[in-house]
Amino acid sequence: MRLARPRLRMRPRTRDRELRLLTVVALAMGAGWVSLSSTRSGGLSIGDPVPVVCWLLGMLGVHVAFVISGRDLDQVLLPVVGILGGISLLFMERLPQGLVVQRFGDRTLMLGDLQLLWLLLGLGLLGVTAISVRSVRWLREYRYTWAALGIGLLAAVFLLGDEVNGARLSMHIGPFSGQPSELLKVILVVFLAAYLADNRPMLARSSMRLGIIRLPPLAYLLPMLATWGVALALVIIQKDLGAALLLFSVFLALLYIATRRGSYVVVGLVLFFVGAAVLYGVLGHVRARVDIWLDPWADPLGAGYQVIRALYAFGRGGILGTGLGAGLPTVDGVAAIPLIHTDFVFAAVGEELGLLGALAVGTCYLILAERGMRIAARAPDEFQALLAAGLTLVIVLQAALIMAANLRLVPLTGVTLPLISYGGSSILTNALVVGSLLALSDRTAVRGVPAPTVRIARSAVA
Amino acid sequence: MDAFTLVLWALRIGFLICLYLFLALVVRTLWRDLRSAVSTAAPSVGRLIVVASPLGRPEAGTSIPIDAVTSLGGDINNTIVVEDPDVASQHGLLTFRGRAWHLEDRGLGAPMRVNGEPVAAATTVHFGDEIGLGRVRLRLERPFERVDP
Repeated sequence: MRLARPRLRMRPRTRDRELRLLTVVALAMGAGWVSLSSTRSGGLSIGDPVPVVCWLLGMLGVHVAFVISGRDLDQVLLPVVGILGGISLLFMERLPQGLVVQRFGDRTLMLGDLQLLWLLLGLGLLGVTAISVRSVRWLREYRYTWAALGIGLLAAVFLLGDEVNGARLSMHIGPFSGQPSELLKVILVVFLAAYLADNRPMLARSSMRLGIIRLPPLAYLLPMLATWGVALALVIIQKDLGAALLLFSVFLALLYIATRRGSYVVVGLVLFFVGAAVLYGVLGHVRARVDIWLDPWADPLGAGYQVIRALYAFGRGGILGTGLGAGLPTVDGVAAIPLIHTDFVFAAVGEELGLLGALAVGTCYLILAERGMRIAARAPDEFQALLAAGLTLVIVLQAALIMAANLRLVPLTGVTLPLISYGGSSILTNALVVGSLLALSDRTAVRGVPAPTVRIARSAVA
Repeated sequence: MDAFTLVLWALRIGFLICLYLFLALVVRTLWRDLRSAVSTAAPSVGRLIVVASPLGRPEAGTSIPIDAVTSLGGDINNTIVVEDPDVASQHGLLTFRGRAWHLEDRGLGAPMRVNGEPVAAATTVHFGDEIGLGRVRLRLERPFERVDP
């Protein structure tokens, strides 16, 4: 006689560290909000604290859901999302509200409210992903479906997309618009992780020799060339330099993590520089970006305007910043930096919170990197390790890319600052990524082991 | 300087202090985690996950932490006792030498397989590879906690 199947009971598990960190998040948001509203109203005031309270209640709600679910999830990621999202909210409430206006029926929502909406939706997505995803086998099993989906998205944007700021990024379906390239990054990371986990032993072996560089069999090099091709296609067809750069660097990093072979990185970098040099010569928009980066003062009121303004913003901020609400001049109610809420949000942080605030934001991404890589190092199998590493790199490299671009260390490539910039696609995608990392961090769940045990876990979820 | 300016300044600095208090607490958590990971690090250098075992020994679905030398076979003195008609009493040896895993077939039973390919006498294996003895299949995986990445 068989015993009754053990049922997975929801045994609440306290999360003291998370709660403690969330308390500090609440403290910081309170101080930030009072500082902002006092500066704006010219007297001590708490203004209309509804957005900040909503955000903090949202965090508390997710925390309680995690406690009830009883999963052994990482306790640092949620507070870090809380502080980044909170800073995002403060800045979106503070920037000129007219930057984004959307109508839903007879209601008109402006920048701050819209961002609050996206952040709360993102938080919900994060919570649901972290609690409900207990096995990632299906992700691995459908790897070629993901690859096809990614290529399909790319094609859809090419056929149906609209051109904004010289880049074909956004797509409108009915009343909704979104930037599929945000989701594309995640889909390709899933595919790459599955592909590399499958073929790692082959890739790590070398059969061809080119001078001092040893290469794997040609058949296994093709996906590398294919990824390079997709990146090139992104640049040429969609003019989306940021996504291309991010995709290719994540791919190189994952390849190195999977094989520990420096020669791949060398080959990849050579491919990158060859591609970059050719594109610089052939494509006008690539050349324009690089030229602005090299000398924005060549056209200070035209092409170089935003970059110069961002540099001045960092300069005005100094070490302690001008304080929330006290910086960022507007010209006739319009922000001096037109993309201050998306690409240049780091310049806003640098001006109003100063060097210290900018460093704090940078440190938050470093913490995300440490946590993500740790989750990867402890993962029970190759696929989950590569998946966790890839998801972490998507966020961290993107943050590094745009922060460096704001500071004119690299050319501006038009990606968002994860979890801070305004934008539904960006917020939701990054929330999904952090939610998946949280799910992968739970080592008590039965994952990666064969059928019988997994079936128990699945039936318990259902 | 009037009082309000002073209050505003204090609020600004207060916000920054809160940010750094948060970071300090997080870094302390990360540091403690690292310390505890080092002190509780498992002595094992890898794990074998039992993918299939029709006769239930070792039990399918279990994860067995292994040391640098692991013997496989039907005899009770093996590190991992594998029960199967095609498995000899001393069937094979899995060792971690230098920085690589080596699988040695003692040639007493049916040839072992790595990822479905029969092994002649000895071969190197990697994390993620599947080792087959008779109808029993074991997957080599990295240990949960690793001191040396």
